Amino acid sequence: MGLLSRLAQLQVLVVTGKGGVGKSTVSAALGALLANRGRTVLLLEVDPRENLHQLLDTPPSGGEIVEAAPRLFLQHLDPRGLLDDLVREKLKLGPLARKVLASPVHLHFTEGAPGLKQTAVFGRALRLVEGHGPRQLRRPDVVILDAPASGHGIAWMAAPQLVAEVIASGPIGSMAAEIAGLIADRARFGAVIVTTAEEMPVQESLELIEAMDARLGREPELVVVNAIYPPLPARAARDESLRLWAKRRAANEHELGRLAERWGGATAELPLEPVDAGPALVGLLGEHLARAVTGR
Amino acid sequence: MDPRRHPLVIVVGAGGVGKTTLAAALGLRAAERGRSALVMTFDPSLRLKDALGVGDEARDAETPVAIEGSGSLAASLLDARRTFDRLILRYAPDEASRQRILSNRFYDQLSGNLAGVLEYMASERLFEVAAAECYDRVVLDTPPTRQALDFLGAPERIVSFLDSGALRIALKPWFDAQGKLRATARLGPLGRNVEGFLDRMVGLELLRDMAEFFQAFAPLYDGFRARALEVQEMLRSPHTLFVLVSGPGRGRVADTLFFARRLSETGYRLGPIVVNRVHPELLPTRDTASEGRRLLEWLGRRDREGVAELRDLVGASHPVVELPMMEDEPTDLRALSSLGRLLEERLDEAIVGHR
Repeated sequence: MGLLSRLAQLQVLVVTGKGGVGKSTVSAALGALLANRGRTVLLLEVDPRENLHQLLDTPPSGGEIVEAAPRLFLQHLDPRGLLDDLVREKLKLGPLARKVLASPVHLHFTEGAPGLKQTAVFGRALRLVEGHGPRQLRRPDVVILDAPASGHGIAWMAAPQLVAEVIASGPIGSMAAEIAGLIADRARFGAVIVTTAEEMPVQESLELIEAMDARLGREPELVVVNAIYPPLPARAARDESLRLWAKRRAANEHELGRLAERWGGATAELPLEPVDAGPALVGLLGEHLARAVTGR
Repeated sequence: MDPRRHPLVIVVGAGGVGKTTLAAALGLRAAERGRSALVMTFDPSLRLKDALGVGDEARDAETPVAIEGSGSLAASLLDARRTFDRLILRYAPDEASRQRILSNRFYDQLSGNLAGVLEYMASERLFEVAAAECYDRVVLDTPPTRQALDFLGAPERIVSFLDSGALRIALKPWFDAQGKLRATARLGPLGRNVEGFLDRMVGLELLRDMAEFFQAFAPLYDGFRARALEVQEMLRSPHTLFVLVSGPGRGRVADTLFFARRLSETGYRLGPIVVNRVHPELLPTRDTASEGRRLLEWLGRRDREGVAELRDLVGASHPVVELPMMEDEPTDLRALSSLGRLLEERLDEAIVGHR
């Protein structure tokens, strides 16, 4: 099966990467690519600050589902709010329990309890692809999760498993177990790592690949290397003003080599494009991405 | 406004903008001017460690960097997990509880991932360093997260957490020797409700892990409140200056402004804003390679517009200093020193122009 067909059959895709590498732009490009293939896609953004709407030129989501293009939707969610929703939904709250919910102990424990927020986010994604979405988008075929930049991607993917281990019973424990099952399922869940061809992002990506293997027994579907200085045009090689370009290109190539040494899976190399962040850039990167995943 | 005059300089900004390298360059230049300087950084790249000539030994102690001249430079690499491990080794009452905590699943997650831990550790180390009074210049790099400002709030949050009583509740002997919640029996229906709720929410097993973990840290809390307040005072002192580093291009302006506003609103002294990795401006030409130059011209224009927009929005309150995109990142002390000199030149221009 080709990579594009494989990506197109997944139900939940998590896009992860260090801050500043263009993760949201790549998420949007990937979403556009799958929507063009006929899939109904929801881009889920979980970050204190919204920015997907700017890339797709829609009004801010403010928690609502917004249609950006045919079959391409986006939604911004605040993880803390999701967690509270989860508590309200899963637990039948009496007045006493509501008191507990408002107490600093609860706040601190659930805020600090590792993995609950991530579980709540994946839980929402799972509910959507199972057909429990709002009327506007009852059942997306695929949810692309643009994971927050801070922290390591593995904490996101391993969280439900951890929660399932420590909360063996009860509604949240069983939901976590269900999500851990989803994340282990190659036919339904996949991860895309976004990086630039620079030392620290490549290092972090390699560590994430290792951690995915060790903790989940999985590997990413695709590593996207973004914003690569393209090869220097041959005729320009003598132009002194292009030295900077040549040097940056060489540094990029070095890092691509280091990545290739330790990662044998699919890699998509996206060139640095002279286009401002926005729908035009998303479109262009979508085309590059399409060529990379179809091998043409 | 001039970071060279301040005994404590804190370098902040979004991830991936080159904060760590600039912090090291500032520290190095202070040492070259005859100061005894310390650079504290998070998660430096291999390249920077090589440039400074320090290895993993700097994770456990301040490690001298071999520099020329009369001053001295030490580097300290902050690693949340290792600092946490060290605290456990120091404070756990005996070997058995030490082992219990280190193998605690909760600990395993918390020490690496919990938001605020890195920040907490940084302020703890900062306090230790300040208390030792060994350095007359300290440059602190902040954690590579978008929420890098959490570092600044960490001492305050910890104080308010200590004051809220939540900690006292967490530290209560919740569980008896059989691992049963003690409070439940005493509290009657409320206790059962609490237990049922917590079990469904996070699971009693996890709560046991957490209680054990918090209790192991009990000795640490004594005096922590006082330390947190002192760190807070130090951060707000007029001797402390913040340098904000930004990436180039208009896309970064919103992030940078957000940082600048937050810093000023919370009463910290923000000095210069450094826009790092600005591409040079290329004038359009009609030569045959113009297609090839299109990208560089665009990058130059993008970065120039970004700087202009930032200057415009920041106004007269802070100098905005540009550093060019380098052909190579510094790989040795000499390159780091010339980066530092360049930064100083630009600072001089900006500060003079700013007056």
